[in-house]
Order: sequence, then C-alpha cells, then structure tokens
Amino acid sequence: MRRLYSSLVDGRGFDLCLIGIPLAFLIVLSGIPLIYNVVMSFQAVDMFSLGSFIRPWVGFENYRQLIAQPEFWPIMGHTATFLAASIAGQFLLGFALALFFWTNFPGASWLRGLFLVSWVMPGLVVGAVWNWLLSGDFGVFNFVLRELHVISGNVFWRSDPNFALWSVIIANIWLGTSFNMILLSVGLSSIPADLYEAAELDGAGALTRFWTITLPMMRSTIGALISLGLIFTLQQFDLFAAITSGGPNNASNVAQYWAWDLSFKQYDFAKGAAISVIMIAVVMVASVYYVRSTRHEVRG
Amino acid sequence: MKTSAILGAVLYAGAAALGTAAHAADPVTITIWCQDDERQPGLNLAKEFGEKNPDIKVVYRQIHFDDVTSEAMRAYSTGQAPDIIAIDNPEHALFASHGVFLDLTDRIAKSEVIHKEDYFPGPLASVTWDGKLYGVPKATNTIALYYNADMFKAKGLDPDKPPQTWDELVDAARKLNDPASNVYGIAFSAKASEEGTFQFLPWAQMTGGGYDKINTDGAVRALTIWKTLLDDKLASPDTLTRGQWDSTGTFNSGNAAMVISGPWELNRMSQEAKFDWRVTLMPVPEAGAPRSSAMGDFNWAIFKSSKHPDEAFKALEYFVSQDPRVFPDWGQLAARANVEIPPTGDARKDAAVKVFMEQLKYAQPRGPHPEWMKISKAIQDAIQSALTGQASPKDALDQAAATIKGILG
Repeated sequence: MRRLYSSLVDGRGFDLCLIGIPLAFLIVLSGIPLIYNVVMSFQAVDMFSLGSFIRPWVGFENYRQLIAQPEFWPIMGHTATFLAASIAGQFLLGFALALFFWTNFPGASWLRGLFLVSWVMPGLVVGAVWNWLLSGDFGVFNFVLRELHVISGNVFWRSDPNFALWSVIIANIWLGTSFNMILLSVGLSSIPADLYEAAELDGAGALTRFWTITLPMMRSTIGALISLGLIFTLQQFDLFAAITSGGPNNASNVAQYWAWDLSFKQYDFAKGAAISVIMIAVVMVASVYYVRSTRHEVRG
Repeated sequence: MKTSAILGAVLYAGAAALGTAAHAADPVTITIWCQDDERQPGLNLAKEFGEKNPDIKVVYRQIHFDDVTSEAMRAYSTGQAPDIIAIDNPEHALFASHGVFLDLTDRIAKSEVIHKEDYFPGPLASVTWDGKLYGVPKATNTIALYYNADMFKAKGLDPDKPPQTWDELVDAARKLNDPASNVYGIAFSAKASEEGTFQFLPWAQMTGGGYDKINTDGAVRALTIWKTLLDDKLASPDTLTRGQWDSTGTFNSGNAAMVISGPWELNRMSQEAKFDWRVTLMPVPEAGAPRSSAMGDFNWAIFKSSKHPDEAFKALEYFVSQDPRVFPDWGQLAARANVEIPPTGDARKDAAVKVFMEQLKYAQPRGPHPEWMKISKAIQDAIQSALTGQASPKDALDQAAATIKGILG
C-alpha cells in the first residue's frame, strides 16, 4: 500500500498518471468520435439509426457512390486549389509582414498586435463583412476596382463560377495572414543577431543573408506553420457558409462544406462521414509532418 | 450551431408550476420544440397554454431553424424526443413515413376544434402521409409577385395591369430594367438551397410538371425564361447566391422593379419601401393556364414516443383555436380559409394580404416525400447548372429527372 502510494506520488506511478490522464482525455474526446466517424462511413445510416452503433455494414459502398457523383472530382479539385492558394497567400503575405515589422521601426510592435484583429474575429463575422465587400451590384471591391479603371463592368465575385472560389480564398487569406505573421515573427526573433553581424562583416548582402541565414534557421517554423495552415484551411467552413454557400453550381464547393451539406442538409450521414474520413487521411499526413518539424524544434 | 440551440433553450414553467403546487402533486410535463421567438406565435401560445392549464407544465425550447430537423432526429434516436415539435413542412413526410410522429387521424375526427376541411389543400397534404394525418398545419405562406407601381408609371406601364403571363413578365422586366439608375427589372432567388426549389417548382407545376416530372417542355421553358432574365441582366447575377430576403431587400431599396417573394416580407416592406408597392398573383405560362404556387411554413406534430399524447393534443387544439390571432398579433397567415383577416390600417398591406390569401388556394406542398431534401438538391443542381451555362436547361432538367427517378425508385 505504501509502496503504491509512494510510487503514485513520486515514481513510475506518477509518470503513468501524467501520461494516462491526457491519454484518457484524448481517447474520450477525439478517439471515440473519430472511430465512430470511420465506422459510420462503412455503414448504411439513416437519421433514425443515428443513436446506435450497430448498423448494416456496406463496406466501401458509400465511398463508391461518392466518387461516382459527377461533382466529386471538381469538388476535390476546388479543395486542392483552396488549400494551395490560401496557404501560399497567407504564408507569403505573412512572411512579408513579419520581415517588415522585424526592422523594428518605432511603433512596430503594437502595429503588429493590431494586425491580429483579423485573426480573432469569428469566421462568420468575417464572412458577412466580405460578403458585403464582394457583393456584385453595390460591393466596395467593385467600386474601388472601377474607380481605379481595373474593370469596366461589375464583377460578380460570389455568383460568377470563375470567381466564386477565389472570393472565398481572398477572404481566407485576409483571415489567416496575421496568424502566419505572428508565428513567423517569433521564429525570426529567435535567430541570434550575431550570425547576421558575422555575415555582414564577411560582406554578405541582404539577399544572401536572407537565403543563407534566415530561411535555413526558420525551416522548422515554416514546416510547422504550413502543416498548421493545412489543418486550419481544411477546417475553414464559416467563410463558405457566409459568402457563397458552395455555389454557384458547386463552383466554390469544397470537401469540408460538402461533408456538412450531405450530412445536415440531405441527411446522408454516411457519405458525409466518408468525405470526412478522406479529409482525415490528408490531415494525418500533415500532422505527421507537423510533429516531425516541431520535434526538431524541441531538440534544438 | 449546436450551442446556439442549447443557449436558445427557454423554460416557461415557473408561473404554471407555482399556481398548482397545492393540489397537483405531479403535474404532467409537455415539452415543445419550436423555432419561434417572442415575436412569433409558437412561444406565446405555448406560454399561454401553460398558464391556462395549471395541471400541465409546459417546457418550451427554442431551436434555430437550421437545427430543427437534426436536433429532432438525434433526440428521437436517443429516446429524448419532445412531445410536440414544429417542423418545416417539406420535412414532415420524412418523420411521418418512419412512424416517428403520432397518427392524429382519429383524434382530429373527434375534435371539436380542429376540422380537417377548414384547411387549404396544400398545407393539409403536407401533414398527410399514406392517407393519415400526422400533424396540424401551424401557419402557411406562399409566393407572389410584388411590383413597384411608381416605376411602372415612370416606364409607361399600367400599374393596374401588372404582368399576368410569363411573356408579359419578361416584357415588363425588360421595360423596367434601367442599369443607368441601378434598377433591375426583377429580383428572385435561384440560390442552391431549398429557397431555389421553392421559387422554381411552382413554375414547373403551372405547366403540368412537378417534382416527379421536372423535365417537361413547360419546365424547360420556365428555366429558359429564368436564364434569359439572368443572361440579359434583367435580374442581378447575384440571384444565384442570394436568398429571398436579401433579394427583396433590393426591391425595397428601389434597385429592382419587381420581386417574387412571400408575405413574410410585408412588415419590413411597409416600413422600408418608400414607394407605391403592390402585389399580384404569380404570372402563368399563358392566359388561362392553371395556377400554382409554392407553400411554405411549419406544421405541428406530436412524437409517437410522447407519454402524454392527450395533453399534447389538447395543446394543439389550443394553438389551432388561436389561429385568428396569428395575423393581427404576429403577422403570419393561418393555414385555414375560414380565418378572418382583420384590416391592419395599412392599405397596401391589407391589399397585399388579400392577394396572398387568393394565391394560397393554389399553393402546393413540396413532396410530400421522405427523401425530399435529395429531390430538392437535384432540382437546385439543375437550376444552377443551367443558369451558370454549364448545361442547357433541357439537359440540366433531364439530369435532374434521372436523379429524382433514382430516388423515387
């Protein structure tokens, strides 16, 4: 008894507790729903069997039907475009801003803080604002572009199949840029200043310093940021709901919105689950990469 | 979304429970789920029913529109369904066909308050499944054509002779269209949601089509007209992504000369629209063609799992007995022809309500079919692919008809 107690207070038992509590937490709050979701994607589910776990097993039928739908590949394509463009845009703009604020002009630190306003706003609010900015007939965006003589007639950002996806991407880049900037700023400030001094003494120019010092030193931050970006972007749902609802004609529909639409608009829970399983597979890859790049960080 | 539903939960028990503590040891509890807030009938009637019946404790939970069906499904499958629910009419058949709702046929036949024959045929059909009644219509609405009479006069059209046929409608839209002053000829909604189906289906029905025969020549003509309205910029391209409420907003602000929408706009329009607005019946394919219109709004139903079906039915009887109040007090239309609509003192609104009451006679339910949402999705896809030019109206509707055939089996 005493041995058990002492082990619990200061020993192997204590270590096990430390691991066990978060592990139990993870299993209950993430593991079970995840498994439930995967199992559901292989079953025939209707709204009245939602509460039970044992349902008719249909194997890959849900996946087969899903892939056979004419909108499957276009939607996957949009998801890839949305991911690539959002992450690239957020990262490049975020990096540019981080470098800009890194020069530390007076007021830089609180201006940088102000940039975070976009990140703390709820997605639906951001969506509503962009909805208004991008509106076709009376949108602010169109007004500005017209005044600058970039366009002659109004562009129907939300309703033109060529622009609908891009209007959500623009809003999403705006939403995520400041988060990228903050993480990159942290990465930048952890690079020792003497490296630059030494390089400068050796006659390295600004560009050379950037390529040979800044980028290599930031590798783990950038890796983590891009995998986080992938995860956040795949979770981006609010903007679609608020700006285009996936339309017109699925032109701006992406996997995450489609999964919701199938489950909660058409009550086809099994197919909704099947899409989310496909998405989980993608996020898993990103997570592995994320864990690997942050592990490097801890060691260094 | 889930949290909003939980946060929205409102309890109305206090007053009723206190008054009866003395003689009723164990009051019957009736749970009611409905999306109505304090400006709408559901919550007020539930509260009144509780106050009038001290032996019945009424628990009211307000549920956001988007969550009603999924919350109800989840609750039913885990054995926690309420006694009474207000459900959107196209979803009624899904529950009725699965035997989730209580069959009220006999109770209604015996009732002194609820009379089957009082109801408009559309709402009544929506609560009917397999010849039995599984609910009572809560209220109803439909769509008609609003128009700006001042603009009619300015463009040389007679405001007392609004368009009656589809050709006249397109013609009027063309004459009223005035891009230079930011005015579109007409506004409507072709959104990829239930709203798009709601607006398009009546056009198909007027030509003898319907959800089970959506690719008739008449329906193709209807979709071709919609496409003309968009291609010729007689309606805003945002029609594709904008719901009815926002589309009507552009009419109220004078940026559209006509709009197709329902009576739920009346209160806002009489406050916002600073011009002579009027309402006329939905234009028909050609003079003399049958009329049709969409039918919206909610139904009351009792879950089969209810432990107190008698008390729950008594509550429905009370709600129905208050039908004459739903327009004067809350601006909604009762689903019955024999409910008097008193004048509101706003001449435009009173004239409009008369047109809507006339239009309601032709309103048809969507379905009823247990897989309505999938049928509706096929129709929405057809509308959207034709209007964005991905497919011709004929091909788009053929595709929808094939999909729907698969669903109907």
